[in-house]
Amino acid sequence: MKPAPTLELGEHRLVICLGPGGVGKTTLSAALALNAAIGGRTVDVMTVDPAPRLLDALGLSAGHSTIQTVPLAGLGAHRGARLRALKLDPKLTFDLLIERHAPSAAARDAILSNRIYRNLSTALAGVADYMAMEKLIELHRDASSGLIVLDTPPAREAIDFLDAPRRMLELLGSRAITLLGASRSVMRGRFSMLDIAARAVLSAFDRLTGLNLLKDVQAFVRSFDGMYAGFADRAAQAQALVRDEKTLVVLVTTAETERVDQACEFIDALTGMGLTLGAVAVNRMMAPMPAASTIANADLPAALKRKLKRNLDDFAALKRRETAALDRLRERVPAGTRLIAAPDLGREPRTLVDLVEIARNLLAHQALD
Amino acid sequence: MALPRLIFVTGKGGTGKSTVAAALAMALSRQRPTTLGDLDGRQPVARLLGATMNEARAARTGHALEVIAITPRGELEAFIHRIVPLRAVSRRMLRSRTFGYVTAALPGLEAFLMLERLRLLAGKAALEDRFAVIDAPATGHALELLAVAKGIRNLAPAGTLNRLSSAVEEFLIDRNRFGVMLTVTPEELALRETLEAAAALRDRLGIECVGAILNGVAPALFTPAEIVKLRPLKAHARLAERRRGLSKFADHARRELEHAGIAVMELPMLYETALGADEVETLSRRLEAELIEAESIDR
Repeated sequence: MKPAPTLELGEHRLVICLGPGGVGKTTLSAALALNAAIGGRTVDVMTVDPAPRLLDALGLSAGHSTIQTVPLAGLGAHRGARLRALKLDPKLTFDLLIERHAPSAAARDAILSNRIYRNLSTALAGVADYMAMEKLIELHRDASSGLIVLDTPPAREAIDFLDAPRRMLELLGSRAITLLGASRSVMRGRFSMLDIAARAVLSAFDRLTGLNLLKDVQAFVRSFDGMYAGFADRAAQAQALVRDEKTLVVLVTTAETERVDQACEFIDALTGMGLTLGAVAVNRMMAPMPAASTIANADLPAALKRKLKRNLDDFAALKRRETAALDRLRERVPAGTRLIAAPDLGREPRTLVDLVEIARNLLAHQALD
Repeated sequence: MALPRLIFVTGKGGTGKSTVAAALAMALSRQRPTTLGDLDGRQPVARLLGATMNEARAARTGHALEVIAITPRGELEAFIHRIVPLRAVSRRMLRSRTFGYVTAALPGLEAFLMLERLRLLAGKAALEDRFAVIDAPATGHALELLAVAKGIRNLAPAGTLNRLSSAVEEFLIDRNRFGVMLTVTPEELALRETLEAAAALRDRLGIECVGAILNGVAPALFTPAEIVKLRPLKAHARLAERRRGLSKFADHARRELEHAGIAVMELPMLYETALGADEVETLSRRLEAELIEAESIDR
């Protein structure tokens, strides 16, 4: 099987797939990675929360979070082809990060057993995003990795993922946190009425709730003191990586009305961040409608012809809805950003062959711009 | 199937959750005054109903439907205004970036405040004999949100928050006040996620779902024999097969859901060029009929 001509992925070292939930982001990420691997590159695909069948197709089991090599036999892969797949576990990544940056074993244990940390590392929105970024930097440093395709966690906002390092940094270096008890070394500026108000809110919450959280928050923040520089360094790297010229940001969507609305919001947010969007990929596009004349000319009973006509009319209405949504999307796609589409497979992708087909369709047949 | 005061509509992305929530609220509003709460933050419901809820139509259809947005930010602002009574300070605080960190420092606070708001909304609905329908986030986020009460209670073994979170937990398992409605389309992934969500709700949180709304069901139109006859027409045959496949899968999905003990209501696939106010009204009529059939509401 020959790989499709690529979306000029040849020069890229990182592809980041973003998009609203339920559009097949994971599938497209896996398809792009597989296609590039078959073309002879060494590719790593990092997915978050993949569907069980996709896990099966990639040879990943549900419990595993280590990197797995995907067997490419029978797919006609070029020499040197390699595909590895990794399922992200945010909690585990965070734990490892703490272990790496903690100044001492005591500091590490203090954090890992802290009540705030245990909640933060699983519950706080943004931790999964930040940890994906963390894992990404690690993979990116691996010289054997020629191309990384990253499937981002499901997001409400486009910038959730890309903005994660900055938010993490702000959180750790913020005044509200600082005034809770971090040492002077992380402190910025001086206290103001606002800080006092923030503190009032936190302690009122504590009083109101009987949680005694403040004490734990203070301990948590203090334990991060020695690690702030390490985190800041990683976050700066992540930010640079996202903006690197060898990074391609792909927005994945479907042509459903609501998803297109969301995709437009994503485009605005990304543009607002000053980010270049490499491509907008529309997944699960309906095939073009067949001609009505074929029905009229067919040698079939009149009743069956009527049903065929009705069926065609029904699907044509959906196709028109899709076209209208797509037109709206096209207007919003920035100049220089490619608009590409993958036709609906008509079934859930189950095998690597399905994924290759999706990638080939995406990259070759249906350029819309 | 008796309806709770507050119905929390969630589903996998792309299953028409917001449309179904809007249609359900519209159907219920013909019975009792109804509040449609948008928890999803993007206000697709408001957009869908925008044209519908103009005064002329409201007068014609007798709707008593109020749409409100429930945002983490809004709930948190209310909370902060309560705690920092000095308006000048609380307002400046809300405008500052410091604000964001308060929530970050207290994991689960926003979500908890939103759940508390739902509890109050359901209480008000019971008092005033109303319904509330919530357009909730997609399944994954919704499950996380609903789990917050338990998490907070574990975090706070005693005290006010423990009592509050116990109250929220009791609310979530009280079938008179709270129920989850899952939206699902006749697709393998959507079906699986729905079954998993129902199991997770029941096993992890003790929440029974009120039912599932199988959205996008259409008659098969073609018999297998007819499909065979159509083969030479390639593209048309594929469309016919697709039509039949969707219909067959809808039957299968219905059986699977019912087998899992989930009551199923069906909404038709609308083969329309655009989905707007009229289509939501069409769906609301169908839902109303289904609800009457299930003896959930009066005729």
